[in-house]
Amino acid sequence: MSSPISPACAPFEPLPSRRQVMAAGAAGLALAALPAGAATPPALAELVARLTEGAAPERAGIALDIPQLVENGNSVDVAIRVESPMTEADHVRWIHVIAEKNPYPDVARFHLSPRSGRAEIRATLRLATSQKVAAVAALSGGGYVMADADVVVTLSACIDGG
Amino acid sequence: MASFNARITMPAEARAGEIVEVRVLVRHPMDRGGQVDAGGATVPRKILNRLTVTYAGEPVFRYDMHTGVSANPFVSFTTRAVETGDLIFEWREDGGATYTRTARLVVT
Repeated sequence: MSSPISPACAPFEPLPSRRQVMAAGAAGLALAALPAGAATPPALAELVARLTEGAAPERAGIALDIPQLVENGNSVDVAIRVESPMTEADHVRWIHVIAEKNPYPDVARFHLSPRSGRAEIRATLRLATSQKVAAVAALSGGGYVMADADVVVTLSACIDGG
Repeated sequence: MASFNARITMPAEARAGEIVEVRVLVRHPMDRGGQVDAGGATVPRKILNRLTVTYAGEPVFRYDMHTGVSANPFVSFTTRAVETGDLIFEWREDGGATYTRTARLVVT
């Protein structure tokens, strides 16, 4: 397979017809006639900044447990644990998961409270392709922490159209 | 969907103050939209987009799901046992349908 994301997964862009390519090629504009390609995915830093309203999250006190090599991107186990006493004064408000190269990079958000006792969640995700997955946690004090991990996906979600 | 199948795994009883783990597995295709079915038609997006959990009337957990959550979504979270009461799980599906399940936690 040539592309990790099938047309059913990415927005479909019709390829130029042979006639268009020939005509453009004759004019030396073959490159310009090709579609610009799917919009480049926003960089991870940008996605994180949108969540944290520009604040730079600390890279400490949070563990993102996700396999480095995933055979099937349709269901990927992830476990996230944030070091927090989970008291009224100091707790995790939410944990947000980003997969930067998914068609929709915001994957999930878990809202916690002091009632949670521990800031620890597990879930199953879909990954469209090999990419960096990040978890950002918002603390009650106003700070943020994050962790990320590179994941290699051999069979991406989206490939079978199912 | 005709039948909504949810499996909730948690202890039936706990000591006050103990932190219990709640595991929730739901059968749902989580159609993310855009796929082409066998007939060539495009499948519309239809996912469970939110799970809210209340414990004895107080909200304790919320899970916002987008298209990046797998089919048959699983989630595990913790809550501190405070009093005997029902945990009420409510899922909201695209299109407005809701599904509710209840599990009782006895606190000793």
